[in-house]
Amino acid sequence: MSRKVAIIASNGGLFDAYKVFNIATAAAAADAEVAIFFTFEGLNLIHKDAHQQLPVPTGREHYMEGFKKANVPSIPELLQMAQEMNVKLIACQMTMDVMSLKKEDFVDGVDVGGAATFLHFAQDADVTLTF
Amino acid sequence: MNADKVLDARGLSCPMPVVRTKKAIDELKPGQILELHTTDSGALSDIPAWAKTAGHRVIEQSEDNGVYKFWIQKG
Repeated sequence: MSRKVAIIASNGGLFDAYKVFNIATAAAAADAEVAIFFTFEGLNLIHKDAHQQLPVPTGREHYMEGFKKANVPSIPELLQMAQEMNVKLIACQMTMDVMSLKKEDFVDGVDVGGAATFLHFAQDADVTLTF
Repeated sequence: MNADKVLDARGLSCPMPVVRTKKAIDELKPGQILELHTTDSGALSDIPAWAKTAGHRVIEQSEDNGVYKFWIQKG
């Protein structure tokens, strides 16, 4: 029986992206069914352009050396990996309307849905996380 | 120990060792053994935890000069 992991991504910085995609890919690697609901700034994480250059928190720029040294994969790589492992990506319709974003602004394979779509998935999830 | 497949994941950091291990084990049949090499010290707890969650079994592990080796039997 497959377990379900439901994640809400509501922040749009580089570190937020790592938290979301590391947990998501690790869960998918353990054969869980994973869905991520991207809302508000979290939409950056799947935006075609924005996800390739996510902001580093001010004063933490020196972490970037550590990322390189530890050979941490890039966010585009992690996102692609998540998609290869069938992680479901849901963009929040309401936030898209507020920010005048269209489905075409996001990477291919993204679903668009509202709160109820996520709740339906999360209803019987074994793990639910918010970032 | 004889392995059916060897995966070199040295130099990769979390979550890549687990992700690559999953992909490699998907190519094996139940009962077959994957030998994993990693330099990620987080793997010491991650690989056994992942194996338990995904229904596989770590049957042996060792450390040699900063390289951790795991023999994982597909469940």
